[in-house]
Amino acid sequence: MSARKKAGEVDRFALSEVIPATRDFIRLDGERCTGCGDCAVVCPMDLWELRGEKAVLAGDYKEKCTECGSCFIACEEDAIDFSYPPGGTGVVFKFS
Amino acid sequence: MRYGRKASARAAVKALRAFVDGNKWRQRKGRYVPLHYIHGITGVRGYDVIVVGAGPGGSTAALTAAEAGMKVLVLERSRYPAEKNAGGFALSSKAWRDFPFITGLELPSMRKGTQCVAHFLSPPPEMEERFCIASGPSGRMSYPEAREFFTVTMLRREFDRFLADKAEEAGAEVKFTSLVTGLAKDADNIAGVLLEGGDEYRAPVVIGADGVMSQTARLAGLRDKWRPDEVISACAVDYSASRERLDDVVHEANFQAYFGPGMGGNYLMCYADCVHIGGPGVTNSLISRVSRTRIKPARELLETIQAPPVQRLLRAVDAVPREFHVHCVPWKDSMSDDVCAGGLMLVGDAAGLPEPLWAEGVWQAMYSGRLAAQVAREAIGEDDVSAASLARYLDRLRESPVAREFVGGAQLRRLFEVLGDPRAAGEMTEMMVDLTVNMFMSGQEPKAQTVARAVPILMENLPVLMKLLGIYVPMIQEAGGELPPQLAALGGMGALFGAAGGEEPQR
Repeated sequence: MSARKKAGEVDRFALSEVIPATRDFIRLDGERCTGCGDCAVVCPMDLWELRGEKAVLAGDYKEKCTECGSCFIACEEDAIDFSYPPGGTGVVFKFS
Repeated sequence: MRYGRKASARAAVKALRAFVDGNKWRQRKGRYVPLHYIHGITGVRGYDVIVVGAGPGGSTAALTAAEAGMKVLVLERSRYPAEKNAGGFALSSKAWRDFPFITGLELPSMRKGTQCVAHFLSPPPEMEERFCIASGPSGRMSYPEAREFFTVTMLRREFDRFLADKAEEAGAEVKFTSLVTGLAKDADNIAGVLLEGGDEYRAPVVIGADGVMSQTARLAGLRDKWRPDEVISACAVDYSASRERLDDVVHEANFQAYFGPGMGGNYLMCYADCVHIGGPGVTNSLISRVSRTRIKPARELLETIQAPPVQRLLRAVDAVPREFHVHCVPWKDSMSDDVCAGGLMLVGDAAGLPEPLWAEGVWQAMYSGRLAAQVAREAIGEDDVSAASLARYLDRLRESPVAREFVGGAQLRRLFEVLGDPRAAGEMTEMMVDLTVNMFMSGQEPKAQTVARAVPILMENLPVLMKLLGIYVPMIQEAGGELPPQLAALGGMGALFGAAGGEEPQR
């Protein structure tokens, strides 16, 4: 593969490593969710989607979430709760 | 309440804890008597200061506290420093002015920055270079390091390790894989932390250095979270690159920004042997703005990386993508005052301290970490860690250069709004092109003919010039600077043109 090609390709999922958390660290309060979709638009890993009138978090988020907390900040209804995964689990940055 | 053996044991432990935590007897000629053996009896382990988070703020706090003779525990949720809050960063020359312990620091990833470059691109889809500014440091800066270089870029993995090691060498105890999930309280004050898994550690002062999503701030009831207009969602791609190529192509222009109409600005940071491209600029990654515009920051960054000048540079240095980062960063136009409570002080991102233009935050974290540790030392010495006593931390912050970075904060944030606004950014770029080419670059037409265009160019661009004046004049005023009368008049006109920024795609 030429360097010309390599520099242009960025696969977010291939380029991030996650040790899956042993418990949930993002929770959605379905009662509060108004389906505004702000979480879906801010999530850099596209882990939220709108189904019907409600946000739905990807079932495999513990394997993909980079713990940025954007969804938690974006949710003005306080329907999303974010804490950190247990110590030693979650996203791992190896190179930088 | 039932009185049994268990209950009396609990009462005894409570009494012992109260005795231990009532620091009076601990002072002996200003030295602190280690108390962990007493805590050993009570089943909790005691320190003078507990620092939550081993980033630059936490480790600087721990280092300062340990050097002052205090017993310090640092709790970090990851397995090694910067495993979570990684990325590279540009440490400003301010850090060499303020922290003697980094003098002579050499890390493998370091690249010195004696040049800053701003590239202004044409609108998508073309995105070619239209204008470029490259500058060395200004001789008018107030301290010698600033006259020599702007920043040194380096990787957090190395820098955070260096600081954590330094804190450990000074006597701090650092525990990794330790997630704080609760705070221990004594009457009105926070008096320790609880870890996931049940361990408890006690200390009269807890320093929350746990970043933008600070759980200590939350557990202490200081704030649940920052507002969407106070946080940016910053993405970056890390590329490995050839050190020799970087030396030849980039040399010491370690920080390069790419602005373009509609692009909030990407930054390209070059280290010894890798490159980071981050973005999409502070304004376009502001969470409230993302919610409004429905433009995803990650996608915007990945698209703008495809800009031909960026791609050419990446190819020239043999760049290969290695890692994708996303981090939220507080980006506020004024300094917070919810940074301390009884027994608790927040530092760095947890205190919302990144400055309001580039969201630079490592120096701020280190500075506030040191201040918090100094205040902890005084307050423990006075046996008063109440909210009123620790409020002096906020006073010191307000007197510090960290707070001075916030003067004109609202205007600084608007400056990036102008750059993020497709029309204003395009107009500004073309104005700079027109002025530069017509005033001194052109060999295409007779000079007298092109130079005469300067006045019409400026007149035609009055709206965008006024937008800029509308930002800079109030800043000078807020900083207490005297304005020449002509500029004051122009500033008034600038205000008439209203808020900068402008058209945003609506939902």
